[in-house]
Amino acid sequence: MGRYLLKRLLLMIPVVLITSLVIFGAMNLTGGDPALALAPDNATEAQVEMIREELGLNDPFIVRYLKYMGGMLKGDLGTSYVTNKDVFKTYMQRLPNTLELGCASVFVAVLIAIPLGIYTAINQNTWKDNVGMVFALFGVSMPNFWLGLMLVLLFSLKLHWLPSSGRNGLASLILPALTVGMGLAALITRTTRSSMLDVLRQDYMRTARAKGADERRVIFRHGLKNALIPIITVIGMQLSNVLTGSVLAETVFAWPGVGRLIFDSISKRDTPMVTGCIILSCVLMSLVNVLVDVLYAFFDPRIKAQYVRRER
Amino acid sequence: MKKKLALLLSVVMLLSMLTACGGSSSGGKTATSEAGSQSSAAAGSATEAQPTDDSGIPPHKEELIIGTTADINNLNLQKQQDAVNNIVLKLTHETLIFFTNEGTIEPRLCTGWEYLDDTHIRFKLHDGITFSDGSPLTAEDVKFTYDMGLENGLSMLNGLVETKVIDPLTVELVIESYSNEFLISLSSVPLSIQSKKAYESGMDEPYLIGSGPYKLDKWEPDEYVTFVKNENYWGDKKGVSDRITFRPIKEASTRAIALQNGEIDVCIDPSIDNLPDLEADENVTVFQRPGTRLFYLGFNVQQAPWDNLKLRQAVAHAIDRQAIVDTVLAGKGKTQTTILNRGLWSFYDEMEGYPYDVEKAKALLAESGYTPSGKLPILISNESDYSQVAQMIQAMLKEIGLDIEIQVVEPATLKTECNKGTQGLFLWRWNEDSKVDFVYRDLYYTGSPSNYHHFSDPRADELTDLVLTEKDPEKRLQYSQELQTYLVEQCPQVPLYIKDLVIAYNKNLQGTYLYGGGNHDWRFAYVAQ
Repeated sequence: MGRYLLKRLLLMIPVVLITSLVIFGAMNLTGGDPALALAPDNATEAQVEMIREELGLNDPFIVRYLKYMGGMLKGDLGTSYVTNKDVFKTYMQRLPNTLELGCASVFVAVLIAIPLGIYTAINQNTWKDNVGMVFALFGVSMPNFWLGLMLVLLFSLKLHWLPSSGRNGLASLILPALTVGMGLAALITRTTRSSMLDVLRQDYMRTARAKGADERRVIFRHGLKNALIPIITVIGMQLSNVLTGSVLAETVFAWPGVGRLIFDSISKRDTPMVTGCIILSCVLMSLVNVLVDVLYAFFDPRIKAQYVRRER
Repeated sequence: MKKKLALLLSVVMLLSMLTACGGSSSGGKTATSEAGSQSSAAAGSATEAQPTDDSGIPPHKEELIIGTTADINNLNLQKQQDAVNNIVLKLTHETLIFFTNEGTIEPRLCTGWEYLDDTHIRFKLHDGITFSDGSPLTAEDVKFTYDMGLENGLSMLNGLVETKVIDPLTVELVIESYSNEFLISLSSVPLSIQSKKAYESGMDEPYLIGSGPYKLDKWEPDEYVTFVKNENYWGDKKGVSDRITFRPIKEASTRAIALQNGEIDVCIDPSIDNLPDLEADENVTVFQRPGTRLFYLGFNVQQAPWDNLKLRQAVAHAIDRQAIVDTVLAGKGKTQTTILNRGLWSFYDEMEGYPYDVEKAKALLAESGYTPSGKLPILISNESDYSQVAQMIQAMLKEIGLDIEIQVVEPATLKTECNKGTQGLFLWRWNEDSKVDFVYRDLYYTGSPSNYHHFSDPRADELTDLVLTEKDPEKRLQYSQELQTYLVEQCPQVPLYIKDLVIAYNKNLQGTYLYGGGNHDWRFAYVAQ
């Protein structure tokens, strides 16, 4: 297991290198001079040139990239063109906000989706199953910003129960987490349902029932545990997605997360900020994937046994 | 089964109706202000502060919260350009000269100025001015600030040769040649006076030390930035609110709801769609007045086929600008004929211009000798209302046989392409509320980097110089109006509209100074209680 983890962590190095090259290249290839974006509309040519020189934009692409990578090896992800602030510090300021929203959203999604998935699987092809699936379809097809605005209208403007935006305590987390969580819940519900349906058809389930085990025990102990692997995979994927930021929900709720930071930086041609944030998000996603792999082993002894065999 | 499904659908519909039908039945307040005098581009103040006790501080809400469209990004005065930064920097810093919301200039840090001759201006500073760290502001700080501005290549200091310290309270500026607008330039926020001592001390962020009535308390990027009163403020007129906070809420609907919900006191730039709900809310005032930001369709006159004057004029006649204002702005804007921003000194809109006339457009197109072939690209930015405007223009030009292809890019790309001159048609905007030279010279003068039209005309250049340097007010006015007429004839752009300034706020908001261009002054604003 230890060797496997080390291998996975080492694999992150080429991922980071390739990502940085692609992002740096893409930012360079897209039109738009960062110096002109930063300069006032009525800036003189000298003023624009001064900005270009300060930012090192007169160097060829490869020189700029190598300088950037040189800095990165020393732990320096550069300074934002726009704010003049350290990229790593800025990202780390936003990350807790994104983690907060991401984890809360996944929590909401799991809370809704797993019971609903199990319930619809048990009641397959009944009206209860249909209603559950309509809910799942609704969740997938509903635009995030629309749901967010509807929730704000109801809970903030009509009922005055919750703040409409900002990040100020638990109350302000509820609406964004519900908005993002509802979207995530749809896929988890469908996966739980199909995975449970597979498991419910297995012989060991029939055996458990034949032995006279309580139905609840059969479903949760024998059924759910065996159905969890695909569900964990989906939850892991969803978590990776929300940890890189939910731009729409962050915009609707004025949530200061990583998604908005990256989005705004792209439109301002802030290459160091975009590159740094995406590299850090890549690392974060890779770590989540490793964590999901570890969880597989925890829930499925067969997978754990594979790791143990390999290490022998 | 069917009954249960019907019940479920009914509940969903009821919920949707409940959430969709926003707004209170009781009417709110709508305040409007006309443009005021021709010289007043910025006028439009909501209400004046009304001191009620011995200290001159009326009962007020402790914190004023302003919901903005974007977060501040840099408070280093001379290294930033965004209006959103300039607005907050007005709280913490002051300039030698202040541009009022009545379109005039008045002394601020100085008691006055005197022209020794055409190129030497002497300023006497107030005695006893202090920075927020308690240190005195002297002529040395003025020199330090302007020298730093020259090093940073600030365009508003164009023409400044030297800043001389005569004594601790007297400073003299030497300029290349007489300019009617040099003094107005000194009221620009990036030229706010900074502390030489703070820079020399080696402290972090020395630019935060200013002489304004507030000072920065805390900035949580993308969450809020808060200012508290500067206890060392030197001026007689102090701020009322104990704290002023700017909260960026980019989504317009959320910003409007936050105002109605009492989470913020001011909603900057509410969307047109939210106005009916805001106007119906009895706790909200919606203030509207003519703006100064001009949106226009530009031609690169060096690029074929737009180097053809008749073709440009044909396009100008083919565009129904009122239809654009009615559709895109729901009528909350004004069309105009001239190329100058409405409300600026010498604004003149009486020329014939190019009224909407498809037949005339077709005739001019025929006269131009241009045979439509292939698609003509129009470059637009992905911000604001450009996409909708471009689609309308595309449909209108189709009427005269021109096939327009819309290319949407980010603002940085648009500026780069326009700067290089690779574009043909483009949609852009220009916001200026104080200096006509910043319109004439920046947009039309030969070789100007922001002359995206790549227009070059000796007559226009000569008139631009005369407007800047002519001392006789009548002659200067004549030159300025002649220049506007000439530029409209040459048609490097089709002015489309000026969007009204619309802002919504708590009905008890007092002491605001709202500028048509959006560069509001919040120093004395407060919510009365």
